[in-house]
Amino acid sequence: MDRRHFMGQSAAVLGLLAGLSTQARANLPKAEILVIGGGYGGATAAKYLRLFSNNTARVTLIEPNTAFVSCPMSNLVIGGSRSLAEMTSPYDTLSKRHGIKIIQDSVSNIDAEKKMVKLASGKTLRYDKLVVSPGISLNMNSIEGLAQANKDGVTLQAWKAGPETVALHKQIAAMREGGTFALTIPEAPYRCPPGPYERACQVANYLKQHNPRGKVLVLDANQDIVSKGALFKKAWAEQYPGMIEYRPKSNVIGVDAKNKTLKLEVEDDVKADVLNVLPQMAAGEIAIKAGLANSNARWVNVNFLNFESTARKDIHVLGDAIQIAPLMPKSGHMANQHAKVAAAAIVAELSGWEVNPAPVLTNTCYSFVNDREVVHVASVHQYNAAEKTFKTVPGSGGLSPAPSILEGIYAWGWARNIWADSLG
Amino acid sequence: MQVKYLKPILVASAMVGLSQWSGLSMAQTADQLYKRSLSATCANCHGTDGKGVVDGGMPLINNLTSEQMLAKLKAYKSGALEGTIMPQLAKGYTDEQLTTIANQLGKKQ
Repeated sequence: MDRRHFMGQSAAVLGLLAGLSTQARANLPKAEILVIGGGYGGATAAKYLRLFSNNTARVTLIEPNTAFVSCPMSNLVIGGSRSLAEMTSPYDTLSKRHGIKIIQDSVSNIDAEKKMVKLASGKTLRYDKLVVSPGISLNMNSIEGLAQANKDGVTLQAWKAGPETVALHKQIAAMREGGTFALTIPEAPYRCPPGPYERACQVANYLKQHNPRGKVLVLDANQDIVSKGALFKKAWAEQYPGMIEYRPKSNVIGVDAKNKTLKLEVEDDVKADVLNVLPQMAAGEIAIKAGLANSNARWVNVNFLNFESTARKDIHVLGDAIQIAPLMPKSGHMANQHAKVAAAAIVAELSGWEVNPAPVLTNTCYSFVNDREVVHVASVHQYNAAEKTFKTVPGSGGLSPAPSILEGIYAWGWARNIWADSLG
Repeated sequence: MQVKYLKPILVASAMVGLSQWSGLSMAQTADQLYKRSLSATCANCHGTDGKGVVDGGMPLINNLTSEQMLAKLKAYKSGALEGTIMPQLAKGYTDEQLTTIANQLGKKQ
């Protein structure tokens, strides 16, 4: 037991000795709180459960990986200007500095009736409150031939940052002179709305320097660019003239791995040298397996006051896995913000207090159009009690007027600060 | 472990009348929690409790007093102060929320 745990429990004992009718208050240090997933949502939730409870809550984080790898910024690894190590943070600060118990394992099942979590190792854990932040799952079966092609490394997703991110950069670097890199985008909603268009910039930026006759082909299932459209189109035209071909309403339905060919729903097949195929996405596997994905069997509906699943009591779901409120992006920044609202609500509930009736969320999202210049989109989301959802505030938020180096400095500053806020 | 608990309990009991551990202090703590969670919306960019990464590339705010911070936030909101993201974000908060944030994160003199 660390000093913080000790002090918190002392305070609880003191409260009981004082003869107060504070049973609910005493539940806070007694409750077992489990957090599944150490991404932007889960790591932040674990840390802020400790901070908001003045280090009295007992928090266990279950995460299979030994370190956190950020999806935001990982397009820079694909473009070759940054390394994956620069966007990797250890988990041990959460235990050393904040007293969070970390179990390196994955969850194989959640029994919401018995309030038990079963780990892949076979161990079971009981919970009073469960936070589920599982990220996304990639539905490889939504595109014919993709599951095998991805397994064989013929196509890569690199949408969950990690080994595939590095592998994709290597494929681009090894591409024949004048070759084509094809990126496919599924219909929204998907993780990180501007991410694919930033990726197109990063690949073009690399090719401009190392393979100037190379091409980037963007096959987008959507009607138009989903986020920062005008800014990306302008950057493509000005910085990469003739290099990036954008085709909206281009839905990929199959992959011919042998011939490196993509089959489209309407248009003719497309052959390319490097295939980066992003399939339809859904809530992380454990959320679906546990019966939490009650929005079209893909996303998790939550009560936006405390992020509790509408399907299961005492299970709070965060981040990309949820069915979003209007104009709420699936972003790392937003997952971090979900986590703070949920952590405060859980601390309030376990203390016998009313949950904050007016939470606020913000989002900021930076995209690199080359290795130094950046554009952003920002928004503020206030809870609307009448409609029980978050709404963006009219007149607030917005876009950059143009790419700038100053925003490039802020973008990297944002990354370092959010990594420290979530994991430090 | 029980022995370890004993001393702080006795000390604390001696320091405060038992009746003072009442609903009032709990209400203040709940209110404090709401204020902390509102202020935490700034932490993604400016650091946990407003303590940003030093030389991290993002403007540091923990050198500002509450008064200076509120003046800056209101200037961003009104458009008097230019910026990249902050004018856009400040317009999303009520004046009361900006005051809470400034009081919470501003350097105490």
